[in-house]
Amino acid sequence: MQITNKGKLRIAAIFLNLTLFIVGIIYLIPFIWMVLSSFKLNADVLSIPIKILPRTWNFQSYPNALNYAGYNFPRYFFNSFIVLVFAVLLCLFLSATAGYGFAKYKFKKNKLLFVVVMSTLMIPFEAIVIPLFLLITRLNLQDNYLALIIPGGLTAFGVFLMRQFFYSIPDEIIEAARIDGASEWQIFWRVSMPLAKTAVLSLAILHGQWVWNLLLWPLIVMSKPDMRTLPQGISLFSGVYFTPYPEQLAISVLACLPTLILFIFLSRNFMEGVALTGLKT
Amino acid sequence: MNKKNAGIPKANYYDRLQKQGYIFILPTLLLFSIFLIYPMLDAFRLSLYEWNFTGSPLLIGLRNFIKLFTTKRFWSSYTVTLQFTFLSVFLLMFISFWLSLAFTSKLCWFKQLYQSMVFLPVVLPMVAIAVVWKFMFQSTGLLSVVFLDIFGWNIPWLTSTKIAPYTMVLVNVWKFTGYYMVMFIAGLLNIPDVYHEAAKIDGAGFWRRLIHITLPLLKNTLILVFVSCAIFSFGTFALQYVMTGGGPSRSTEVLTLLVYKEAFEYTKFGYSAAISVMFFLTLFIFSIIQLRIFSSQAEV
Repeated sequence: MQITNKGKLRIAAIFLNLTLFIVGIIYLIPFIWMVLSSFKLNADVLSIPIKILPRTWNFQSYPNALNYAGYNFPRYFFNSFIVLVFAVLLCLFLSATAGYGFAKYKFKKNKLLFVVVMSTLMIPFEAIVIPLFLLITRLNLQDNYLALIIPGGLTAFGVFLMRQFFYSIPDEIIEAARIDGASEWQIFWRVSMPLAKTAVLSLAILHGQWVWNLLLWPLIVMSKPDMRTLPQGISLFSGVYFTPYPEQLAISVLACLPTLILFIFLSRNFMEGVALTGLKT
Repeated sequence: MNKKNAGIPKANYYDRLQKQGYIFILPTLLLFSIFLIYPMLDAFRLSLYEWNFTGSPLLIGLRNFIKLFTTKRFWSSYTVTLQFTFLSVFLLMFISFWLSLAFTSKLCWFKQLYQSMVFLPVVLPMVAIAVVWKFMFQSTGLLSVVFLDIFGWNIPWLTSTKIAPYTMVLVNVWKFTGYYMVMFIAGLLNIPDVYHEAAKIDGAGFWRRLIHITLPLLKNTLILVFVSCAIFSFGTFALQYVMTGGGPSRSTEVLTLLVYKEAFEYTKFGYSAAISVMFFLTLFIFSIIQLRIFSSQAEV
């Protein structure tokens, strides 16, 4: 009886793991195909019968894509990078200060103001792009990095996350620092923030992905070719006639690289960030 | 009495200290009001005007909405978006739930590896993903050829109005399964082992434990996944913009795409704002229904 049960479990385990492995491969195939095809010649990418490995390895597609006439991909990379860095920094600054303020100070209307900030979670970004565009034109920020950085740095979820985190820091630590004569800002910056490192990292990764992905908003506010972001450049490039497939795929691979490299080293933080979004109750 | 008197200066000091909290939340309040709350209110105002951006706006009351409700293109876009949302939500929840169950099972050997494989698409930029899939969906692309070999049918993935909407769902599901799977896993790990072990001793099988322990205790996660998945899917843009541009024959023209086209291709800003308002109201009603279900179930 015991043995047959164990045997059954073993067969079940093998079956399960085989299935999961196949599922995992299915999720990987498009990415692998993108990398392999980016090294093929344009004549080979869509030829029948399908060849999995490139017949001749075409490394030229990468420099070709970066120097493609009419496009300036190194510049788009740079633009996206600038926006990414400053939007994430802004998001961290706002989330940490506001989260700390809401968690550690008992001023009047604390609850109400927090609800106001959280209510912006209900505003889908896609629904306000038109009025936001008008606001940006009135502030004369079109084709300016700030047009992407400021709205890209706002997330009520970050405030929520940091407030939850700062709740978990005991008030005694803060009181002790006050008695030692530290100013409120010093307590925040020197005492509380160093404790928040993991929360800050998870938030930075989660929000960074969102910023790196933005397409609709840059399409609207960035009209000068030199100010295009990477997703904008790629989407424009994908609509080109007489499609240069290896070049398109090469530039897509390059766009994947930054997040991919981070993911390889920090996969746990990536998943933790997502798990955190699931823990709000 | 003495105590009260002694308490006054201390209370003042304490109050002043607590008021410093305002300084901490001020930057957030300011920027959120200007760049999120004000534009949202402005969308409602703007929807009452006819405006081509260069001239002066003309107040036309609710005529934009009347035009909206009588325009086929809007309704078609609205149903396309709803269909995309419902199918995506259903499939994503179904697949990611079963995967999360499998990945938390004791029989699973390489949890970390499998999880990372399924999670990978989440990390990749949507535009890059759209480019590869579009490439694989070409008539001699990988997927078309594989399906031709297996089923003897060259599926017109992106060129048939009947199939293209489902192709969008397929890519969307592939991209986000890992995201919701991780949310489910976090929820599952929150359920104490004791419940399952007690149920096992009482002789409850896999299905009974699933229905009577796992699902009820996972309720919060389920609702959260449902809502966030619906909101994400409803706001889809990059996928359709890159892969089909809304075609063929507008069969994949989602609301965000319509908003974008009406404003920046036909410069009808007021009309476009009216679509945004409908977009917002739909999600708002949706969130309210969710809250209702959530609170009514919490009472029981």
